[in-house]
Amino acid sequence: MAPTRTIKNKHSSKSSSSSSSNPKRSSKDGIKKPSSSHKPKAKIPSKEQKGKPNFGQDKKKKSRVYTEKELGIPELNMITPVGVTKPKGKKKGKIFVDDKESMSTILSLILAEKEGQIESKLLKARQMEEIREARKAEADKKEQDRKAKLDETKELMRKKRKKTTGSNNNKKDDEEEDKIVKDAVVAGTKAGKKTAKGNKKKSVSFAE
Amino acid sequence: MRALTDEEMKTVLDKLANYMSDLKSLIAPLDDGDRYVFRLNHSRVYYVKLSIANLATSISRDALLSLGTCLGKLTKTGKFRLHITALPILAQGARHKIWIKENGAQPFLYGSNVVKAHVGRWSEDCPEHQGCVVYSMADIPLGFGVTARSTTEARRLDPTGVVCFRQADCGEYLRDEDTLFAG
Repeated sequence: MAPTRTIKNKHSSKSSSSSSSNPKRSSKDGIKKPSSSHKPKAKIPSKEQKGKPNFGQDKKKKSRVYTEKELGIPELNMITPVGVTKPKGKKKGKIFVDDKESMSTILSLILAEKEGQIESKLLKARQMEEIREARKAEADKKEQDRKAKLDETKELMRKKRKKTTGSNNNKKDDEEEDKIVKDAVVAGTKAGKKTAKGNKKKSVSFAE
Repeated sequence: MRALTDEEMKTVLDKLANYMSDLKSLIAPLDDGDRYVFRLNHSRVYYVKLSIANLATSISRDALLSLGTCLGKLTKTGKFRLHITALPILAQGARHKIWIKENGAQPFLYGSNVVKAHVGRWSEDCPEHQGCVVYSMADIPLGFGVTARSTTEARRLDPTGVVCFRQADCGEYLRDEDTLFAG
């Protein structure tokens, strides 16, 4: 009964089969594997070694696999971020900055760099501001000139208009003058009469 | 947790120098003989007292959540990104400042840029694209950003024009609560 219980485990069955002197037991249980695998234990590996051709294996061992560096093949173009690239020829491992001196040197370097950057930025901004102001002044001047020119032309136009209106007035004056003259001419006879009446010296007497 | 390397230290200090003029006070020795150092853990940079940093060496990397003041995060491309947690340190030695009116504080704390209409006053001679710390009119630091225009240019700007691009604000303590300290 004991071997039937242990059959479930392969190893135990092997050991049991090997240890048991009765081959019938295994056949009774209906398990052929342990008995078949057990017999040619030493033979199978030797057969495999002999059966398979050794030529291929030997060749594979002989063929050397070259690395890309050994062959001198140019490297493929790959995108590597700027921060990730590490300089060649340097020792592996990190150099830590923990002492005060090295930190202060780095600090002063960075501060100087930043100050320079800010100064240059400010200078640039000032220069740009100056240029802008100059441009603005120029534009203002141009605008003023344009306005002045416009005013001038306006004045000229006004003057011309005045002249033209003035000439019209003259014409009227002339007409008035003419009228006066005419009136004077018309009234002239009367005036003459009046004058004759008044001037007794210039009397005309008809000879009888 | 480890000290920063040469390159890392440069990038961190370079970023800090955008906002601060007085960097030397950061590493100046304290009265009790102690000093502040920079430490890196899980790609986060911490500004911490040396004595505390030494104590923290007894805690394993995975178990150590945070120590001192978290300044920001080193990205995988080697750049440094400042977090809002660095604001108290930036505010101490700010290079350029912008004070915003009460009506502008809320929009800023909700994550919008600073417009000219909200500016109460600003420091003179501030160039374009320069780091600045944003304060309320009661001198309480609210966040930090980058100037959109120089001071002279900003004077001519219309009221709705952006004066400062927001980088971080105190509202992030609530908005980014989950990712601010871990993850």
